[in-house]
Amino acid sequence: MKFLAQDQLQAFLGHLAGESRVVAPVKGDDGVVLFRPWSPGTEVELDVLLAKQSAKEFVLRQSETYLRYGYAMEGEAAAQVDDSHEAKVALEDPAERKAAQDAAVTAHAVLVVEPVNDAPAQVIFGLRPCDARGFVQMDNVFGGYGGFYFDPYYNAKREATTLVAVTCRDPRSTCFCTSVQGGPAATEGADVLLTQVEGGFAVEVVTERGETLLASADLADAGQAQVLYAETVKETAEARVDAAFDLEGVREHLRANIEDSGWHDLSMRCISCGTCTYVCPNCYCFNITDEMVEGQGERIRTWDNCFNPSYTLETSGHNPRDIKSNRFRNRFSHKFWYYPEKYDSLLCSGCGRCITHCPTRIDIREVLGVMGSERTAVSATTPATSGGEA
Amino acid sequence: MTATQNIAAGNGKSRLTFADVKAGATTAAAGTLAGNPYLPQIATVIDIIDETPNIKSFRVRFDDEAVMDALAFDPGQVGQLGIFGVGESTFAINSSCSEKRYLQFSVMKAGEVTSALHELNVGDKVGVRAPMGCGFPVEAWKGKNILYIMGGIGSAALRATISYTLEHREDYGDITILYGARTPLDLTYKYDVEDWQVRKDIEAVITVDRDFPGWEGRVGFVPTVLEEMAPKPANTIAITCGPPIMIKFVLQGLQKLQFTDEQTYTTLEKRMKCGIGICGRCNIGPRYVCVDGPVFSMAELRELPDEM
Repeated sequence: MKFLAQDQLQAFLGHLAGESRVVAPVKGDDGVVLFRPWSPGTEVELDVLLAKQSAKEFVLRQSETYLRYGYAMEGEAAAQVDDSHEAKVALEDPAERKAAQDAAVTAHAVLVVEPVNDAPAQVIFGLRPCDARGFVQMDNVFGGYGGFYFDPYYNAKREATTLVAVTCRDPRSTCFCTSVQGGPAATEGADVLLTQVEGGFAVEVVTERGETLLASADLADAGQAQVLYAETVKETAEARVDAAFDLEGVREHLRANIEDSGWHDLSMRCISCGTCTYVCPNCYCFNITDEMVEGQGERIRTWDNCFNPSYTLETSGHNPRDIKSNRFRNRFSHKFWYYPEKYDSLLCSGCGRCITHCPTRIDIREVLGVMGSERTAVSATTPATSGGEA
Repeated sequence: MTATQNIAAGNGKSRLTFADVKAGATTAAAGTLAGNPYLPQIATVIDIIDETPNIKSFRVRFDDEAVMDALAFDPGQVGQLGIFGVGESTFAINSSCSEKRYLQFSVMKAGEVTSALHELNVGDKVGVRAPMGCGFPVEAWKGKNILYIMGGIGSAALRATISYTLEHREDYGDITILYGARTPLDLTYKYDVEDWQVRKDIEAVITVDRDFPGWEGRVGFVPTVLEEMAPKPANTIAITCGPPIMIKFVLQGLQKLQFTDEQTYTTLEKRMKCGIGICGRCNIGPRYVCVDGPVFSMAELRELPDEM
């Protein structure tokens, strides 16, 4: 274990920034803490436990152009593309215009399509273990796990990213990482784990990538007292995260309760805003759109959210999840049933952002507590699925 | 059958890296072709067939001859057909698997992408990502009777499979095709229909919903005609595709005729974007229509939430 003194932090980040981009939680002028590109002199905000959004944006961009395309003119007509005043005047002469049009007919427009995949080396510094684990959970989806497709855009950024996580010394009441097999000092996904101790950070290398990152940084070995202190911090933090629900059997119960009226009741106050999906460290669903301006176009993928009715709306007007409770059910079932069935893992790392930021105070722990456990026969009646609920 | 089978098998429970991919590890057919499953191959429209007043078939050929030569797909697989600047949509590949000159897609004019496709002329460029998804298990059906029940544009999803079983006619028992449309004008693939009706080795029943001037064939809804035909379930596979309401009543009819869930197949469509099981929207419970389907047996569908 190494030791990074508090007063060395700026120099350490500066050192990292020499090799790659550094992203860290920074408080903006509006008081909001977000992961932002770090530059020397910027203060890293670690007193606020969680940045408002996870750091997923730096690997799975909120909006990302992944193809560019356009038509390039080849042949005779290329010479005719002349925007000058003289050319326009000339084209007012019918004979000239006819000649230009004829040339245009023989023009050979070539469609050019090029992938765009920009992935600079980056260090995400100061994210919490739940956020680091969120990347691992998305890795399964984008990394071809189980024989599925390999996503070159996500993976280019992911493989260029080093994660330096920080132990949560003071978990919040909305944290439930320990209920989903994580913890405030868990290392899954992290390349390096820092733990705040007196005067600085105890530094643990977790992966080879982490080893490489620290190799050139001149850090002293941690003293015995610092090692012990870090252990105490971790244990204390672990004990402070409340058990939220029992994960055992959740998948089976979600399956059994699929038609249960509880979904209707729990989703009543949901306003389908999708905030929970945007702040989530592992909600990854996206939309694809084309944009074209003056013959040059882009194909773009953008974060999407499954609460939006248009997410599944078909051209015919048919919508497989036309009522709110079905869309609501989809998100929780995806995280604790559908995804686990495909990837042998969970799609939730227990950060609790969805609880903190929900405008109607929907609490994932309550939803799983109710729908992820055995329901009584009385409650298990199928709700009426019509009646203006959508 | 082809490389796509390992998708369904869910083999190799591990995450790939770029190093694996560079070393030749591929998980799915589109990845093999392009190295980037999001990158469409440029293709040229070589022929357009007006099937009905609102359905056109497009025959497209990849500009890259190597891609065209390498093309192999299973009957029932789909592709993403798109126009750069507008977008992509999923369509069944309805040309025969043995057709090496082109891929055929049939498109009903309905929304943004399909309307733009209907504006295409021969020679225009499109983007194609194909093949995708899992086809029908035609190998496993060898020796069985095959009953196709389809309505309207649903024929597009079954056409390649019909071609396959007719091209391998000796491998299958009785082949029956029940095909219905609203009016005779709405019957797709009239060139196929004529062929089916003259062939002696299959039974083809063509029906339209109501009387139509000049129509001397059968009149009646597909589920009703199915009931009248009363096919025997013994050693038979029933495959249906059409409008959701037709599928619903056909499935009920098949059940009444004692067809089991294991004998009954359909192929689904959903709003799709990536087509490769990542973007998230075409799921029915834990299954993605794009990679786990679009072909499902009723036995598989019974396990899923009612989100058809």
